[in-house]
Amino acid sequence: MLETEATLEIQQLVAEFRPGNADLLRALHKVQHRYGYVPKEAMGVIARQLRLGEAHVYGTATFYSELRLTPPPEKRVDWCSGPACRLKGSTHVRKVLESVLGIGMEENTENDKLGLHLAQCNGTCDFAPQIWVDGKVVGPLTAADTVKLARELKDEAK
Amino acid sequence: MANEAYEALRNQAAEAWQQVEKPPRTLIRVPMATCTLAAGADETLAALRAAVDERGLDADVGITGETGLCWLEPVVEVRQPDGSVILYENVTADKVDKLLGDVIGGGVCNDLAFAVAAGPDVDAVQRLEDFDFWAMQERRLIARCGVIDPENIDHYIASGGYGGFVNAAEMDPEALIKMVEESTLRGRSGSNFPTGTKWNFLRGKEREPKYLICNADEGDPGAFVNRIMMECDPHAILEGMLIAAHATGATFGFIYLREEYPLAIERMERAVEQARERGLLGENVLGSGVTLELTVWKGAGSYVCGEESGLLASLDDARGMPRIRPPFPADSGVFGQPTNVNNVESYADVTLMLQKGIEFYQSVGTAANSGTKIFSFSGHIQRVGVVELPFGFALRDLYHAIDPAPWGERRTLKAVQSGAALAGILPAHIALKLPLEPEAFREHGVILGGGGIVFIDDTACIVDLNVMFSWFLEDESCGRCTSCHGGTQRMSEIFRRIARGEGRQDDYGKMDILAQTLQYSNCVHGSASPTIMSRSAEFFREELDEHINNRRCPAQVCRDLIRYEITGASDALAEAAAICPVEAFVQEEEAWSIDQARCIKCNACKDVAPDDVQIVDIAAGVVVPAAATP
Ligand SMILES: Cc1cc2nc3c(=O)[nH]c(=O)nc-3n(C[C@H](O)[C@H](O)[C@H](O)COP(=O)(O)O)c2cc1C
Ligand code: FES
Repeated sequence: MLETEATLEIQQLVAEFRPGNADLLRALHKVQHRYGYVPKEAMGVIARQLRLGEAHVYGTATFYSELRLTPPPEKRVDWCSGPACRLKGSTHVRKVLESVLGIGMEENTENDKLGLHLAQCNGTCDFAPQIWVDGKVVGPLTAADTVKLARELKDEAK
Repeated sequence: MANEAYEALRNQAAEAWQQVEKPPRTLIRVPMATCTLAAGADETLAALRAAVDERGLDADVGITGETGLCWLEPVVEVRQPDGSVILYENVTADKVDKLLGDVIGGGVCNDLAFAVAAGPDVDAVQRLEDFDFWAMQERRLIARCGVIDPENIDHYIASGGYGGFVNAAEMDPEALIKMVEESTLRGRSGSNFPTGTKWNFLRGKEREPKYLICNADEGDPGAFVNRIMMECDPHAILEGMLIAAHATGATFGFIYLREEYPLAIERMERAVEQARERGLLGENVLGSGVTLELTVWKGAGSYVCGEESGLLASLDDARGMPRIRPPFPADSGVFGQPTNVNNVESYADVTLMLQKGIEFYQSVGTAANSGTKIFSFSGHIQRVGVVELPFGFALRDLYHAIDPAPWGERRTLKAVQSGAALAGILPAHIALKLPLEPEAFREHGVILGGGGIVFIDDTACIVDLNVMFSWFLEDESCGRCTSCHGGTQRMSEIFRRIARGEGRQDDYGKMDILAQTLQYSNCVHGSASPTIMSRSAEFFREELDEHINNRRCPAQVCRDLIRYEITGASDALAEAAAICPVEAFVQEEEAWSIDQARCIKCNACKDVAPDDVQIVDIAAGVVVPAAATP
């Protein structure tokens, strides 16, 4: 593999990790923490560092829903897919988000300013149905509330 | 030996706790946990700190954990030098000035007061122990939640923390395991496997090092039982692991924590660090001969990684796919070494047992299940929160305490779902007769589970819930077994079809075959995945039949079976037209109608014009005149 500036930087980032030391997910977390996602270049670097096949690293990275292989949006909207939210109308919330923003789950707007992510219940079900805007819980939301909020988010993301 | 070192820690801790117990001046504490942050507790804390600093008020500001009263958050506690402790409800940042105006100098803010937790009575304010939600509880495992500062190890130690380990270390490991076995403690994840027996497996292994895992993955949607413990009393979990280390001879441990719980990760990491600093983790803890190194390990969003062999695979640098067993973890766990996996609450139970003694531990509960269980509840109830109840407590009594008065219309409790996606669903008339005990639930073909309970009223559709859960199970299947990934996918397809009104009577036969086939899965994710489907077909047949035979969704949830129609003509419709995200509102000569081809059935118009928009069953063929004239 060709050494580029990017791979060198990733190499330094994961230099502390060792084979057979429960380090693969830690390495992936560290890379994602640094770049906001796991770039393609990182797969080979981590594979060499931990003496694993590249497919093995890729397979692991794609197994987990909180690891992403594409750049994150500037602002992330997480939609809770949990049961309490469902009971209180989260499907309406999702419909609205997707139609106002014009993107689906795990997609970004064209300018990468805004993205939707399907999230799991974190136990703040008192605020169901809810979304998290950059990690901050917003809820309970009616569909009408969501339209207003989504329009604001869309305007900001122009 | 061990005791002396511990006594020194206790003395040091007592001083720190004294500052809270007998504060020299007004002490205001804000609960900082995920639930309270969602309610704005961080803003409350910042506002309090700013006000006290800027105005030089005679008060201190600190933090605690949460009490489980999620629907009243932020619940702020005010302690006075005279021993008075009062809880205030819904203290958002905008109410801070009002609160401060009254409480500095010893007063009470009657407008916000929720309950007196200690000290003299206050006119027109209830005592916490008289509040029904509180009175029914047996708060033992969560006794410190909302009382101590979870970031302060001294608070934990001052309340007897790590004393359970000191007691355990004085016992012979065999005797200790025997005690845990006889306590009836069974895995609180919902596994229900006897904890003592599992420890015995590990104790019997000679290959070293041995490992302990704390399963803190809590992937069950709707469960936040483990999260509260980790965020609000993290040391109780570490202490349980120390006790297990003494019993089993394990010397290393991992706390496998889901990444969706950032605050729990932070708190557990801090707790491990503090325990290490005090010599409560590491080599030869308090001179007892017990050695334990702990690491907090972050998951990355995978439900099957909560399954113990999936968890082990995930630790072992692989996809978190549950492994073929045998070998079991006691023979081959982390790095192929002997390993024991327990849930957060199971470890906390052991801590309690050793701190307070087995008699106390067994003084509540039932013969088969002594002690208590923590439950979290959500859904169609007014009081979302967390409680700790003795085993055998009537589910009906819990329901009445968390949904005290009827509200709104169309509300009848329809179903109860315990233990999330793998556990099942029961109609309310059966569920409300059950004691909270694993055996009672198993008799009806469902599982009590890890403590999350979802209450479901008749505004919900059972088919829709199956669409949600079967999709979750399909999405989270690791893909190892064809029976599981194919089976859950088929389940999902069948319910989507029924939800579209394209169900067939022979779908029931398919469900039976699927339920049988799924039994042949390597792990419980596959074998338990048909539970909700099967119980739905058994108990909610009428509702399913209504979808299949009449293409009608009685709760009017399944969107392919309903249509939004305008039935009124008030001014609210203009607002409805403006809120419609897809411009489906059409106006012709004053009269509004909905362009059905555009409508995405998101309900936004009905939110703003509830009297003018109606949901209509498509199958009923009732075509309400598009523009009912006034
Ligand atoms: C799909 C699946 C997910 C699970 N998730 C969890 C979990 O999040 N937390 C947990 O403690 N146990 C979970 N379990 C149960 C574990 O496999 C294991 O039985 C448990 O951690 C043992 O702890 P206990 O004996 O203390 O209950 C899960 C099981 C399955 C099949
Ligand atoms: S279901 Fe959405 S927060 Fe729990």
